[in-house]
Formats: sequence, structure tokens, C-alpha cells
Amino acid sequence: MKPLIGLSMTLAMALPQFAQVKLPPYTREVLPNGVVVALIPHAGVPLVHFHVLVKGGSESDPPQMAGLASVTAQLLRRGTAKRNADRFSQDLDFLGGTFTTGFDAGGSSVAITAEFLSKDFDRGLDLLSDALLHPSFPEDEVAKEIARRLDQVRTAKDNPGAAIRSYFQTAFFGRLDPRGNLPDEVTLARIQRKDLVEQHQKLYCGKNMIVSVAGDFDPAAAKLKLAQTFGAAPAGTAFQWVPAATPQRRAQMLLIDKPDATQTYFIIAQPGIDRKNPDREALELVNTVFGGRFLSMLNEDLRVNTGLTYGANSQVEQMRLPGAIAISTYTKTETTERAVDLALEVLKRLNEKGLTAEQLESAKAYFKGQYPTRQLETIDQLASVIGEIEMYDLGRVEVDGLFSRIDAVTLAQVNAAARKYYRTDNLTLVLLGAADKIRDSVKKYDPHMVEMSIRDPGWGGK
Amino acid sequence: MRWAIAGLLFCALARAQSHNVQTATLSNGMKILIEEDHAIPNVAMYFFYRIGSRNERPGITGISHFFEHMMFNGAKKYGPKQFDIQMEKAGGENNASTSNDLTVYTDWFPNTALELMMDMESDRIRDLAFDPKIIESERGVVYSERRTSVDNSNGGTLSEQLRAAAFIAHPYHWPVVGWPSDIESWTMADLKSYFKIGYAPNNCTMVVVGDVATANVLALARKYIEPIPRQDPPPPVRTKEPPQLGERRVVVRKAAQLPLQMIAYHVPEAKSPDTPVLEVVAALLSRGQSSRLYQRMVDRDQLALSVNAGKGDTFDPTIMTITIQPRSGVDPARTEKALYEELERLQSTAVESEELQKAKNELLAGQYRQMKTIAGRANLLGRYEVFYGDYSKLFTVDKEIQAVSAEDIQRVARTYFTEKNRTVATLLPEGPVRPAGRGRQEGNQ
Repeated sequence: MKPLIGLSMTLAMALPQFAQVKLPPYTREVLPNGVVVALIPHAGVPLVHFHVLVKGGSESDPPQMAGLASVTAQLLRRGTAKRNADRFSQDLDFLGGTFTTGFDAGGSSVAITAEFLSKDFDRGLDLLSDALLHPSFPEDEVAKEIARRLDQVRTAKDNPGAAIRSYFQTAFFGRLDPRGNLPDEVTLARIQRKDLVEQHQKLYCGKNMIVSVAGDFDPAAAKLKLAQTFGAAPAGTAFQWVPAATPQRRAQMLLIDKPDATQTYFIIAQPGIDRKNPDREALELVNTVFGGRFLSMLNEDLRVNTGLTYGANSQVEQMRLPGAIAISTYTKTETTERAVDLALEVLKRLNEKGLTAEQLESAKAYFKGQYPTRQLETIDQLASVIGEIEMYDLGRVEVDGLFSRIDAVTLAQVNAAARKYYRTDNLTLVLLGAADKIRDSVKKYDPHMVEMSIRDPGWGGK
Repeated sequence: MRWAIAGLLFCALARAQSHNVQTATLSNGMKILIEEDHAIPNVAMYFFYRIGSRNERPGITGISHFFEHMMFNGAKKYGPKQFDIQMEKAGGENNASTSNDLTVYTDWFPNTALELMMDMESDRIRDLAFDPKIIESERGVVYSERRTSVDNSNGGTLSEQLRAAAFIAHPYHWPVVGWPSDIESWTMADLKSYFKIGYAPNNCTMVVVGDVATANVLALARKYIEPIPRQDPPPPVRTKEPPQLGERRVVVRKAAQLPLQMIAYHVPEAKSPDTPVLEVVAALLSRGQSSRLYQRMVDRDQLALSVNAGKGDTFDPTIMTITIQPRSGVDPARTEKALYEELERLQSTAVESEELQKAKNELLAGQYRQMKTIAGRANLLGRYEVFYGDYSKLFTVDKEIQAVSAEDIQRVARTYFTEKNRTVATLLPEGPVRPAGRGRQEGNQ
């Protein structure tokens, strides 16, 4: 690390002391049909937040029908036993409520959330359960949704910063992995109403759902109502996740041509860890220093010192299946080679030199200082954190023991993690930009690079 | 039921008021708002400077935003990088944002870092450094930001063109990030004189929300910030946008998969009594899947992938913009026509009371959700203070929204949604476009 400039601190800061943050008390109950219900009373805000995880997520998509789980989730509210799509929206909006569907990190579960004023607990729960347990998937709504999704695939390419993530997923994980098998024009077009009905029957059953409820409510009354509502779901069969497959470490390069681009977006990635890996705290700290905060090594070199980019960062995915460690940034077309070289150089520096004791302490303080507002401040955060603890069987200690685990990480451990995971060989490199202007300069990274056009349908991949 | 929900929200907001916002004004003119909240051991500290791109002039467009960046590049006591190094080491994180009207600095940190933050904030307000090398490097960063948010973004490009056409005289004409040639040519002298006018303590409101003791915040503010001398505030923005004399149309041709459309109407500034009415109008039009434009354009007629109506809070009269993402194969003339029909319906037919109440409930619940976090409350308190003249209006906004009548909606729709008052910007795909609905080659699976 470079000498610190102007370190004339009158506030010679002692390292800040952070008390261990803890989850609020919550109850957990398994209904006879297998639904797990977690209740997290959290007074002070007259709101209630429902967070439902449905195991399977995009991992449940048949390979030929990528997008099935997400289309199913999006159609839950578009027609139910009690309400047509219009009625559902009118009722939801009249309460000022929210209803969202998505995936947890990695897409191993579908996540459905809904939030209402506390006084609307019953009406909100009725709407949520109507959508979750009794969707009717009307033909016309199915047709409309599929058509919309096909257009969304196209318009996604009008946002190159987001589009490169999709190309990367497909290249890095490959189409045999659910994370690399993204919905596209072909897979979406195959989805029929009967597939959605089947998918819903298979996944939205008792043994496959975790319901976390946080907010200002009466726990005894809530317990009864939730048991009544979700207890009515058929028990079904728990979704069996496929065993973890570690992405292969291999050198590959993909160049996506967008002829009108005036900047090049790129991602440099290698295999990382899964959600339960014992190295995860050490990696969290290494990554904070490397590319996880503003004055990280990457952002310092690529932005602050050189002005090559507005932002450079790195991410350690922590999903059910082992994910990627990925550097991500962009720079003007003319400086593409310089920026890729510099990113690789910073990676090499981390791998060879690791962190200093001072950097490690700073990363620990940063992590602990930011954690409460990132994870434990609001009822939606609490419901989501507790849902994840239940889904992966992590236990309260995941949060309650977190600061102790962070404190216990040694310099030797982070530097071993840096050497093991932040390697400089066999990298996946994905670039999106004006190929004619950068092709010659980036060939040196991989003479066998694959090239495609952003106008080609789909996200590439094998 | 309709009133019950309103009643409950009112209680909720009133309860937030009882959170007890304390105020003080330092002798140098900086106003401070403090709300103690001890739920988590963290603090949100926001500085709202009343300076933004509206205070610029041709030749230095974007300089307010550039300044936002320079404020992190070193001052007298804390040199280059030290603001971030010290803050991160103390467990804190920061960001900042610039708009047409304001530059806002946002610090989020554990309660243990309060004094450090006061010290560092005062250092950069008083004694910012101007290192020519750092200025050049930061110029590259800002240009990269422009490249990302405007040049390589269809929405960013279209929005810039829309504003430039809708405003011909007022400074809202130019983009906050600045025109490319200005980004390339600001001088050291421009920067120094701009710092002097913008960063006077009397031109700033500080908001602190979180795990603090009010007395301690005030003592630290007096120690670190009060000694900074008061200065002349920025000169008033004299130019007023003249009334628009007829529809304006802009076409952008750009590589794209699908077209994009933005249609804007001139509307008044935040302090206008029409503001709550316009908020309700925007909610009626596009909030939720039951909203009029969603139902008509996204759902029933399947003309659009998304549609959104909204306007920001501003000091001067602004625009309400309706952004439409047409579906593939849909001529943007059709989305445009559908929009006008819906706006005409707002003008000609009074909104039913249930629909009106639905829009109000959505607005109020949305506002309340923003108050869940210390950062959200710091933001709202500051915005109400600077745009509406008094933070406490945050706690009566529910009454103003509740008071909006069907007649108000009709009047406002008739006043602003006229052909003469609108600017239509359309992005049309350029170059080869692949035909709609064709799949990728078989064998890729």
C-alpha cells in the first residue's frame, strides 16, 4: 500500500468498538403441512411485511424452459380463485400495499414479498395467500405475460451495463447450470399454461415454503391466522435441489459487439464459494479491501488515481451453489486495454501481497459499521434475513455470532484466502463494446476469444 | 374504510412528529435538524447545499456536479483520499448527489464516528484543496459518469434532449452532468469562484438522524462548523422560462432494440399549491397495476412494456414527464395517442371517489415507507426543509393530499396537459433491427 498522504490526524482514531448486533427475538413454527412460519414482532412502525420463500426457484426450471419459475411468480397476482387480475390490483393498491416477486441470490428460491399497514394485516394476508395458493393462470394473462417477457429480453439489451451480466452468467456457468440458463426468446416461447399450473402445484406447497412475517402486529393473533391460511396448502413434496456443482476454472473470453458503444464494459471472474463455505468471513473482508467499498484497491487504481472509470468493484457471490468472484467496471473505448491491464495488475497485487494488518482492521470496522443499516434496520430486511436463515438452516448464530466471527479472522487467514481465491490464471473475461475498435488490443488476453453481436438473439453460451 | 386508512396514516405521521425533531441555527447561518433514534447504533448525516445546475451558466454547465466529486478529493487537514480512508476505517460510508437545484452530501456511519465526520465535513467546507492533477483525473471520472448515464443509455440520452427542448431559457435546459465540451474545459478559476458561492454555511442545511444525543451534535457543530464564516449566497437565478407557444417535438435516432418515448408538460415548482394535486395525478396515472396508464397501455391494449409519470421537487417551475417503453412493433404514435386520450379523460370526467382515495392511499403509504430508515428520514426532513421551506410540512403532507378533490384534478389536468404546453421526445432505433419474435438458432440448447 502507498504511504498515506497528509496523515496529520489530530483525531488519532482508536479503532472503533462495535457491540455485537443481534436479531430480535422471533418464533418459529412448522405447520402440519410443513410450512415454516417465522414471526418477528418489531414495534414502532405500523407496518407488516410478509416474506415468502418458495424453494426451487429458477433451479426448478426444465432446461428447455428457462424462465418458467419467474413467469409463474409474476402471474400469481394476474387472476386468482377470488379475484381477476384487475380486482387484485385494485384491492392491493387501495390498501397502499406492495407485492413483489423475484428470486433470492442465485435463484435457488422464489421470493414473494408484500407489505401493508398493520391495521390491514387480515386483508393483506388474504391478498397474499390468494395469489400464492390460488392463482388461476387465465389463458389471456399467460399469453400477455409471455409476449411482454419476450420484449423484455430485447429491451434488456438497450441497457448494456445490465446486459453484460446476462452474457457473463451464461458464459461463466454454462447453459447446463440453472444460473447460466437464462430465459430467452426460445425458452420463453415454449411456456404454456399447463406448465405454469404444474409448476405451481409442484412448488407452492407446504413442505416447500417458508413464511417470515415482521412488523407491528399481535403475535398470538398472527400465529393463528397464518396457521389457518398457510396450513390450508397441500403438503406436497419438498423440492430436491441438485447437488452443488463448482464452476470450472478455465480461461475463456467473450467479446460482445455493440458498434455504437463509446465505452467498454467488462467482467473478469473466477470460481468462488457457496453460502456455507467456512472461508466466507475471510473472503468478505478480503473483498471489502479489494473491491467492496469506495476506496477499495480496484476503485482507487481505476477511478481515483487514473480517472479511467466512474466505478470499479468486485463481488463475491454467496449463493446456495458455488458462485463467482467477479471484477466489474467500464471505461471509454480508447482506454479498454489499459483498464483491463490495470484491473489484472491489481488482482495480481492482491494475490501476491495480500492485505496489511491496517487494511484488515479497516475492513472489519467497515463491515461492522455498515451491517446494521444493510441487514437489520427495517422489517423487510429482518424478514429476509430470517427467511434465509431458515432456508439454509443457518441458525440465529449466523447473525448473533457474526461480529465475533469477523473479529476472529486473522491476517494469515485473509491472506491465505486472497491467494486461494483471487488467482490470476484461468479467468473468464467478458467484454461488451465496439468490437472493431478494441478487438486487436484485447486479443492478447485470449487468442481463442469468442465473438458475438448484441443483435444476436439470446445470451450466447453452450 | 377509506377514511380509516387516512386516519391511521395521519396517526402514523403524527407519531413520527413526536420523534421530536430538534432544530438550531449556527451563528454562521447553517440550520441543523436533529432527530434522535436509538433503534440501531448508526447515524445518517446529510448536508443539503442549495446549489445545483440551475446556478450555472453556459460554459460551466455540470460544474456543480463536478464539485460534488471534488469535495472528496482532499482539503487542508484531511488530504487527498483521507475523507474516504478515515471514514471507512471508522465503519462509515458516504455518497453525494447533485440535481438541478441541490447538492447533497450523505454520510452513514456508526455512532462512534460522529466527531470525526463533523471534523472532516467542516474541513472540506472551509478549506477544499484544488490540485491541478487531481482535477484532471476527476474530469475523466465525471466524463465516464456521463458516458454511462447519458451517452450509452437510451433513457439518459432521450431525457437530456427532452429537457433541452422543453426549456429554452431557464437553466433546467442543460443536463446536471454538463455538456461534453464544458466537462472538458472547466478551469481552476471557474472551480474556485464556484466553490465560494456555493459552499457557504448559510447556504446549507444539516440533518442528523439516528443514534445521537442532540446536545452532543450541537456541541460538535458549534466546535467544528460554527467558526466557518458566512458568505454571500449564490446570486438569484433571474431567468424565468417563458410560456411555451406550441408543441415541441424531438426525435433521437440511436442504436436500440425498441423505441422509447418521453412526453413532458410544464408544471409549477414544489411550493405551488398545485403540487399535491399533481402528485395525486401522477399516482392516478401510473402508480400500481391498477393505475390508468398501466391498465390501458400495458395491460389492455398491450402497447407498452412500462409507463411512468412523475415530477421532481424543484425551486423553479419544472416538467412532469411521462416515460413510455413501447412494445416491439408498436408505432410510438399509438402510445402517444393513448396517453392523450387518458389525459383528456382526466380533464373531461371527474375521478370517482374510490379511485381518488386509492391514489391517495398509495401516495401516503409510499411516503410512510420512506420513513422506515434513518437515511430515508434524513432525506425527507432535508427535502421538506429546503423545497417547502419547513421540515414540519412533512408531517402535514397527508392532510394536503387528503384535501385534493376531484375538481382539483380536473382543473390541474386542464391547466397543464395541453397540446401547447407539451414536448414530445421519441427515440427511434437506427441501423439494422432484427425482426420481432424470431428465436435464436436451434442447437444452442
